[in-house]
Amino acid sequence: MFPAVRIGARRRPIFGRRARASSAAVTLATRRKRIVVLLGCVLVAVLWYALVTGAVPISIGTLLEDSEAGAFERTVFAGIRSPRVVLAAFVGASLALAGASLQGLFRNPLADPGLIGVSSGAALGAISMIVLGSALAVPDWLNPYVLPLAAVAGAGLVTVFIYLFAQRFGQFNIVTILLLGIAVNALAGVGIGAFQYMSDDAQLRTLTFWMMGSFARATWLAVLPAVALMVVAGIALLGQQRALDRLQLGEAEARHVGVDVLRVKRLIVMLSAAAAGAGGAVAGAIGFVGLVVPHLARLLGGAAHGFVLPASVLLGGALMVCADLLARTAVTPAELPVGLVTSAIGAPFFLWLIARARPR
Amino acid sequence: MRCAVAAIACVAGFGLSAWACEPARDASRIAVAGGSLTEIVYLLGAEDRLVAVDTTSNYPEAATELPSVGYVRSLSAEGLLSLRPTLILGENDMGPPVVMEQLQAAGVDTVRVAEQHDAEGILTKVACVAGVLGIADQAKARLRELRALADELAPHSSVAEDAPRVAMLLSLRDGAPVAAGDNTSGGGFLRMAGARNVFPDIDGWKPVSTEAFAAANPDVIVIPARGARALGGAAEVAAQPALRLTAAARNGRIVVLDGMAMLGFGPRTLQAALDFANQIDDATTGGSE
Repeated sequence: MFPAVRIGARRRPIFGRRARASSAAVTLATRRKRIVVLLGCVLVAVLWYALVTGAVPISIGTLLEDSEAGAFERTVFAGIRSPRVVLAAFVGASLALAGASLQGLFRNPLADPGLIGVSSGAALGAISMIVLGSALAVPDWLNPYVLPLAAVAGAGLVTVFIYLFAQRFGQFNIVTILLLGIAVNALAGVGIGAFQYMSDDAQLRTLTFWMMGSFARATWLAVLPAVALMVVAGIALLGQQRALDRLQLGEAEARHVGVDVLRVKRLIVMLSAAAAGAGGAVAGAIGFVGLVVPHLARLLGGAAHGFVLPASVLLGGALMVCADLLARTAVTPAELPVGLVTSAIGAPFFLWLIARARPR
Repeated sequence: MRCAVAAIACVAGFGLSAWACEPARDASRIAVAGGSLTEIVYLLGAEDRLVAVDTTSNYPEAATELPSVGYVRSLSAEGLLSLRPTLILGENDMGPPVVMEQLQAAGVDTVRVAEQHDAEGILTKVACVAGVLGIADQAKARLRELRALADELAPHSSVAEDAPRVAMLLSLRDGAPVAAGDNTSGGGFLRMAGARNVFPDIDGWKPVSTEAFAAANPDVIVIPARGARALGGAAEVAAQPALRLTAAARNGRIVVLDGMAMLGFGPRTLQAALDFANQIDDATTGGSE
């Protein structure tokens, strides 16, 4: 069960950094704190700008006035624009956090919720509901929740499957998880393809738009349960920053410095699935945020998870709100699928990362 | 049974929208979601009330210059509201439901016009739009013209035992024909024109295997202009491996028609069905000589 301890495989002196606690390290910590505060300010500014910008011109004055004239603006602001801005912020934050945690866990900068199959699981859950849902006798009040619930269930099932499979037939090690992710993605692809074949014209269109992701369907009713799940999973993930830092040394080394490696791995995979699954459930498939945002965070302030995790949360939220702002204002009165916007920004950035990482 | 389930799902999903054709509270600023409805608004001469249309509204040409609110099934609530419509007129697939609820919450009248894939369905649709717009009286002349067309079409619409067997294709996706089965606008169009659908057992639009298509051996193949253009014209359509073996391709009976005119089930569909009915009549009499 225990892999052989590789003596001499230590990549870095473990306690060296603490022993050399110099003024340079203090400055780095202060600098990171400043960057996090700055990112927080950026997020607030972006939220403010997104809330006052949209196809319907709304001034804050009209909103505060208690007059009949402002009723229309108030409905648009409170019922349509606010829920989607809030949802975009939370989904962006939790996708980025899940991505940062998985990258830390797998010690692989390419890991993201899509890689271990969670996103395809959520997609399969949602699509099965789009196609088969009309055959179920669902009570009216439950209707807004059915699709998100199915997506969370899909993401959860995939996670549990990966976990059980890895435990039964292999070890809960990184290579097994990544290979399983590939297999699960392929299997989910089969399911999605089958449902696409079975679907009628109307379902196919819904399905296509779901695959591209959108916040247009955001209402408070649908937003709140998803946000609650994302907040719980997010807080728990943020609590793992120290364990993630130690895991960077290697699993055996992390075990030696007192990390319950197996438990941490289980916890982080489950929590990331919950965070990413809840996001995907209400917004559809949105690519590249979980992959790219942690890289951006590391560019700003280094790789310590005490910095990368909170910075990814703030940056992910801000970026997603911006992407949604672009999606809903670029072609008014129509709108773009937000997944299209994030992929259009994310994919070139990713290429740049690859080019930059080449050894010189 | 399937129909009943679908109807219940529809009512559950779109519960709040009105189906009725009573005059709207205020039909002065109309946003339309659905190509056939735009066509009807122009036919009734009420186009000056239009503030926006959707991406399926490509006829008449002038409609394409209006602001576009996106695809009929994925409308944007705030985008639509920014045009300050008083009435949103949509086909039965207008959505998504959440957006429709948001629009109603913002106090905009939303009216869904029922669709039925036959000549009566088209007449009902026109009468319904006229009713909602409050111009039922002015619409009478137009309706009489359409009624005359429908009457002319009626004798063709009885599908005889020996009627030509027709395949309605949407496109050839990677060489695989996507054909109209039952419960589709394409199937309805074929019935209106008195043609027998070669794929009556398929439900919806489905990709058909090349072999199954050759075995079905349709006498005539209909394809929308856009699908034919993607392949490089009617001659190229006939040369496709999937179609080459059929009687239709051998005898050069590939008919290319305007997609929205044929499948939109607006006023133009009556004329298109009549033209198509005459075309296949000629073809069959030509073939028997």
